[in-house]
Amino acid sequence: MASWLDYTINGLIVGNVYALVAVGLALIFGVSRLINFAQGSIYLVGAYIGWVAVVQLHTPLPITIIFVAVVAALVGLIIERFGLRPLQNSVRIAPLLATIGISFVLDQLVMLTFSPNPRALPSQLPDVRFQLGGGTIGPLDLLIAGVGISSALSLFVFLRYSKLGWAVRAASQDRDAAMQMGVDVNRVNQAVFGIAAALGGVSGLLVGMYYNQIDTAMSLQATLKGVVAEVVGGAGNVPGAVVGSLLLGLVESYGVAVFGTSYRNLFAFLLLVVVLVLRPNGLFASARQAPPEPLTGTFIAPSRPVRIPRWALAVAVAAFAVLPLLPVSFYMLQTLINAWLLGMLALSLTLVAGTIGQVSLGHAALLAIGAYTSALLSLTLAVPVGLAIIAGGLMSAALGTILISPSFRLRGHYVSIATLAIGEIVSLVILNWESVTRGPIGISGIPPLSLFGYDLISPNSVYWFSFAVMVALALLQARLLSSHLGRSFRAIRDDDIAARAYGLSLNRYKSLAFIFGGFAAGVSGGIAAHLYSYINHETFNTQQSILALTVVILGGLGNVVGAVVGAVALVGLPEIFRIAAEYRILIYGIVLLLLVRFRPQGLLGTI
Amino acid sequence: MSNINRRTLVKGSLAAAIAGTALSRAAFADSAEPILLGVSGPLTGPNAQYGTQWKQGFDLALDEILAGGGINGRKLAYSFEDSQSDPRQSVAIAQKFISDPRIVLELGDFSSPASMAASPIYQRGGLVQFGFTNSHPDFTKGGDFMWSTSVSQADEQPLLAAYAVKKLGLKKLAVLHLNTDWGRTSRDYFNNAAKEYGAEIVVTEGYIAEERDFRSTLVRVRDANPDGLVLISYYSDGALIARQARQVGLKQVICAASSVYSPKFLELGGDAVEDVHVGTRYFPEDPRPEVQKFIAGFKKKYNGLEPDAFNAYAYDAMNMAAAVVKIGGTDRKAIRDAFTKVKDVPSVIFGAATFDVASRRVKGAMNAELVVRKGQFALWDGKPT
Repeated sequence: MASWLDYTINGLIVGNVYALVAVGLALIFGVSRLINFAQGSIYLVGAYIGWVAVVQLHTPLPITIIFVAVVAALVGLIIERFGLRPLQNSVRIAPLLATIGISFVLDQLVMLTFSPNPRALPSQLPDVRFQLGGGTIGPLDLLIAGVGISSALSLFVFLRYSKLGWAVRAASQDRDAAMQMGVDVNRVNQAVFGIAAALGGVSGLLVGMYYNQIDTAMSLQATLKGVVAEVVGGAGNVPGAVVGSLLLGLVESYGVAVFGTSYRNLFAFLLLVVVLVLRPNGLFASARQAPPEPLTGTFIAPSRPVRIPRWALAVAVAAFAVLPLLPVSFYMLQTLINAWLLGMLALSLTLVAGTIGQVSLGHAALLAIGAYTSALLSLTLAVPVGLAIIAGGLMSAALGTILISPSFRLRGHYVSIATLAIGEIVSLVILNWESVTRGPIGISGIPPLSLFGYDLISPNSVYWFSFAVMVALALLQARLLSSHLGRSFRAIRDDDIAARAYGLSLNRYKSLAFIFGGFAAGVSGGIAAHLYSYINHETFNTQQSILALTVVILGGLGNVVGAVVGAVALVGLPEIFRIAAEYRILIYGIVLLLLVRFRPQGLLGTI
Repeated sequence: MSNINRRTLVKGSLAAAIAGTALSRAAFADSAEPILLGVSGPLTGPNAQYGTQWKQGFDLALDEILAGGGINGRKLAYSFEDSQSDPRQSVAIAQKFISDPRIVLELGDFSSPASMAASPIYQRGGLVQFGFTNSHPDFTKGGDFMWSTSVSQADEQPLLAAYAVKKLGLKKLAVLHLNTDWGRTSRDYFNNAAKEYGAEIVVTEGYIAEERDFRSTLVRVRDANPDGLVLISYYSDGALIARQARQVGLKQVICAASSVYSPKFLELGGDAVEDVHVGTRYFPEDPRPEVQKFIAGFKKKYNGLEPDAFNAYAYDAMNMAAAVVKIGGTDRKAIRDAFTKVKDVPSVIFGAATFDVASRRVKGAMNAELVVRKGQFALWDGKPT
């Protein structure tokens, strides 16, 4: 029984740590309806600035905190001014992509400046421990709790009672109306980004000291957990974010207690899905709250897609089809094979995110389902590879649609977050369901691609195979979009209430989109499994999901040709920048930001 | 096989010409050109730290090889391609290396998904994939072009188990392991060996690489009432667990696998890693000449920095590559065959490394039983802690 007290205390302690990030995310979401993927990077910057202050400048703790807060706030202001403000009149999805690009750039800058080796960040507080239950807590625990709770409280008071706070809330409710009432919306945004960044930086510092360890990989994890905590508490609700964080910490801790350590994150993400399904606006949303705005729909500026004449497409397809006959290197073919595989994933995502408006951040899970199904069928049941890949696609379509169906009633950002969670859940199930998936050991010795008994081994044949499958899927999707189904999908995206009024069943059409999309993604995963011969739970990770979304937004939402062009661009660019060695991801991030800045509707425009 | 090679050569040189590297075909045979090895590994992304450690080890070995006259008078060099440990990128790099006729041998990749996805390409392309950190039991089963000097966990874990159970007299063990292919394989070997030596495994907990908070895990450990904790961890997570174990008041003996052997473990762990026992392959005061040469050279080249386990793996791998190329020349097939011929290459990890031709791995890693005393790794003096 005493152990339960300890699990509770531990859950609250780690919840404390999550709260620091969640509060900053909630503040930004509250004002600009934006999941700031760069928040984790500011947290990282704060940790390293703190390291400079503590280890190199030997500043005392209060000075360190102020120093970190000021530098981080400056970074936040720069992000707001140069990264996001230029996008404020463009499509709503552009700032999301911009924050992803900014986080690439910041993470890489930190890595290049400080090297990727982890560093110790010694705590500057006296090392006294207080006995609490079966364990102990230290002064840093109290400081973190103090900073989390007091910042949430002071933000709450600031938003409710100060004039600038009113302006912030007015801007968050209706930007245009606020502007008409004389609120300087840019100043409000600046204030919010400055405060959130200062908080993010200080949290990086404190968490770094807490673990006596900082490294450049900490940013994505901080963002993921912060987003979960924030949404559980009710997106945009600052005190709710603190409660959500503590709840998340508790659920994780009890999950460990009952099932063991490897199930920990499974519980975190299950909590998120359950909360989203039962209380889509978070645990503490008031009933009167306006429904969240959809991410796409009317918020997609009706851009004019670039019309590519049919003959040009036919020429391009023919040119790529004969490419292996020309003297090109296998390296180039392999890069294009990767692009075609990513292209299939992007086709799938551009359908569900662009055409029907369900922006998915967990699409790698569909790859994983297809890959494991195909690999296991061909290995254990000796199913021919061609059939196994198709089975992988079907399994991905079926399982993916079932898993995603609880989120059909969600809108806007909540769909993204629910799919993010479902993606993580699939990956954790693969890790833990050892009897089927072989857990972390993974599946090795997967037979190579083959068709009608002929092995497709040479890069040329793999190239032709993947290219043909992708073109077939693209043609099928283009046909689908020009039919009444495509029009219904877009109607649902643009105005789901009007679509329902016309008698369209939202769930049925959303299912159809996921069935088709799931099939394309599953086939891509299946081909990848046979190409790699070895897969494990890390092969299809969160970064893949984020990459897929980047491709889709870059190409133009809903745009079939755009998805393929985006895939070629995002597979090709990092390869082209290889010459820049360690700097290549930095350059890639900057190019991505420039593309978003100057083509926010995507290269080929939204359809 | 031969037609693939000819074709690869033609394509590769065309690609080189297109890329504007302006290497004439005659230049490949020129003895003034360095012999080039390809390295596929993470320089960016979540595993970037390991790629930088590889580089440090490689560069030191290359300096020594050059000072010793190079490979039959030619310089040895490497071309490091960043894969981010991502299978999608490692397969493209594999094609790149195979079509580049200057590359005679490939080293890496770091993680199993990235390495083993590229294996079929190296195997079919006829270029040796020398994976020196690939402990996955199936890695060398990818084909006769896959070779590894990674210490087999079937070798290493029984040594650690013997240290914990026989020498330290621990009878009830809690095993915490990284839930990766390496951690899982290691755990199984460790548990089997420990049980064989008469210990009981009271709890095993697998955690994911990104995990930072172990307090609740440690409550489970405490409730299982072990007399020792075994960490199958890397240095950063190992240090985190040790710190949190001491913070929550666990006072049991801690034993850790050799992968924590790094000055960073001491730096990140601070006082909490005092008295932690580590089974390693070498240690600073090791009298073996290859170890002394490695440590002295490393400190001199990197301003007094202490080398760690990953530096040593990379250093050994480069020396092994040099020995192989010395025998095999620059022909890729001859280099594969040279792996079967190379004998007793001086090695920090193995003392003298010779491949077991059947498994394409090296057996018989050295063993040193260390303990952290006064913030330094020291040879264990036999006293219980």
